[in-house]
Amino acid sequence: MDYKYIEQLIESYFDCQTTLQEEQILRSFFAQEDVPAHLARYAALFQYETEAKDEVLGEDFDQRIMAQIREEEQREAEVQQPKAHIVQLSTRHFTPFFKAAAVVAMALTIGRAAEHAIGEQEAEENMDVIAVDPYIKSGDVLQTIRIKDVSQAEVKAKNDSIITVTANDEIQ
Amino acid sequence: MINFQHDILPLKNLIFRTALRIVLNREEAEDIVQDTLMKLWQKRDELAQVANLEAFALASARNLAIDRKEKMENRNISLDDTLHDRPDEGLTEGDRLMTQQETHRLVADVINSLPEKQRTVIQLRDIEGKNYREIAEVLSISESDVKVTLFRARNEVKEKIFQKKSFFL
Repeated sequence: MDYKYIEQLIESYFDCQTTLQEEQILRSFFAQEDVPAHLARYAALFQYETEAKDEVLGEDFDQRIMAQIREEEQREAEVQQPKAHIVQLSTRHFTPFFKAAAVVAMALTIGRAAEHAIGEQEAEENMDVIAVDPYIKSGDVLQTIRIKDVSQAEVKAKNDSIITVTANDEIQ
Repeated sequence: MINFQHDILPLKNLIFRTALRIVLNREEAEDIVQDTLMKLWQKRDELAQVANLEAFALASARNLAIDRKEKMENRNISLDDTLHDRPDEGLTEGDRLMTQQETHRLVADVINSLPEKQRTVIQLRDIEGKNYREIAEVLSISESDVKVTLFRARNEVKEKIFQKKSFFL
């Protein structure tokens, strides 16, 4: 029998010129019982390549990994559940605080309104005009502002239309 | 959606053999398979975008295996259980023909004595039958680097096997 083809394949194999199919042909060839003597020294290598693929995990592996997967799934489920739980609890737990907060907010609103009313009265009484250019820069001449009394230059901001001007540091 | 039993679990033996070729210890290799499969499962949402799940899995397993191998070596513990006691030198000079089992074990030892990269390339190409493109992906090297590595590995194995004279009988 002529083994030229196999000999060629072996040569190509060690040159890394064989395809996957040709490599499979070599393994199949050496898997047979009667390998010619002059090729026998290659037999162990190709036989081993076939045999090494039979190496597999133990039978109990699937059971163990599936148990681990179930544990993992449980953990994932637990991580998601408590979130919803906490929201429920917190709403119930914090209800009294919400009530208190509402009371405080209401008190503040009424207080503010009263303060605002009084403040407006006072402003009318104490000041001639407060017309402040909101873009005033330090160094600008104070002509733009006519303020009756410098000590009263600091006007508390009560709403958006009045800005605080501290005569000494802001405008100098 | 990635299904564990359908998409991930079937990779177990391929990962096992590849890891085993690196750490050369069954228990360690089995641990690596577990860790790799669990990691894949935990990342299953991201994995939908991975083009080649098998190559991705093998690359992860290889990294774990190299880490473990280093730790084992640092502890100076040889956990190599693939090497068995055998009357090695006694039967070389043609005393008798090696049995098939013995010659296969010798090939295994020769392959396992190669550097890790060469071992892994031999494993993926000659045992698992993977193409150069996939092996390149697993090892994060070019296809021509895979070929060069494989060339060295195959020829080193041939040379070492031929040194054993009992093979010629």
